Amino acid sequence: MAGCRLPGGKGEMMRIARISPLVVVRLVLGGIFLYAGFTKIGDPTSFAGAIASYRILPYFGNYLVAAILPWLEVLCGLLLITDYRTRAAASCVAVLNLVFMAALASTIIRKLDIDCGCFSKTGEKTSALTALGRDVVLFAMALYAARGKKHPSS
Amino acid sequence: MTHTQNRSIGRKKLLTEMAVIFLAATAFGIAWNHRLLVNAWSGKSIATAPAPAPAAGEASIPLPLGLQQVKELYDRNEAIIVDARDRAAFAEGHIKGAVSLPVGEVEGELTRFREKAPPTATIVVYCNGYSCHDSRTLADRLIGAGWRQVYVFEGGYPEWRDAGFPVARGK
Repeated sequence: MAGCRLPGGKGEMMRIARISPLVVVRLVLGGIFLYAGFTKIGDPTSFAGAIASYRILPYFGNYLVAAILPWLEVLCGLLLITDYRTRAAASCVAVLNLVFMAALASTIIRKLDIDCGCFSKTGEKTSALTALGRDVVLFAMALYAARGKKHPSS
Repeated sequence: MTHTQNRSIGRKKLLTEMAVIFLAATAFGIAWNHRLLVNAWSGKSIATAPAPAPAAGEASIPLPLGLQQVKELYDRNEAIIVDARDRAAFAEGHIKGAVSLPVGEVEGELTRFREKAPPTATIVVYCNGYSCHDSRTLADRLIGAGWRQVYVFEGGYPEWRDAGFPVARGK
């Protein structure tokens, strides 16, 4: 990634080297969030259950977050993929990931053995540590995508 | 570039756009799920219309029950509530009055459980909520062993506790 500085790279080459990782990050990040949101939109009740297992929010709060969060993920994913308001979308994703990481860290500290509920349940449990590591990567990607495009003019 | 000026304008714009994204998602989410939210909200205050009683009859698969239905059965003392989690989780907190029957120990415990619960009894099995499949596994096992009315409380202990319903600790 960082080591792709081409010797004697001309303007064009440098532009490609600078832009393409950004596009890749944007598309991958957008795709992940679109997928994550989409799998949960159809079944808010079980997502509310997943949130409830974090034991952070009150009863109704779990349902409220379960109702809104998947839509936020889908919206951010769509914006990232279509490259519209990328900076804002990527910043939202970064903030979301901070929240996810805080929630996951709290489950580790409180020794709660729960499924992270990141994507719709596949039967297999994702440990909090795995999810936390994944979120760190996503957070870095979001920051990269947010900083990469300073001027969100079309 | 006039960095400072550009930056403060850019930041303001960024925050506005983020707020718009957030509000749009909130609007979509609430509009799309308003029924669920209304239910969840009214589920919090106990004074709701009585939930339909679960259909009696012989079930070959365990039927799911919602929080309110379980609460009704619980209040009327019409069901044996069974905790499918391990002993440690049970000791840490369980639905008050629940019987501990860890899914891992079911083979050894079944005879003792049979003394408490006749085959005609209504049984509600729960574990740690939606991410947990032990209640379903145990319910299947109980049906296989001859119990006829076995239900699964899908929200499990987290939903029960968060609704402020009676819980207990210890064995």
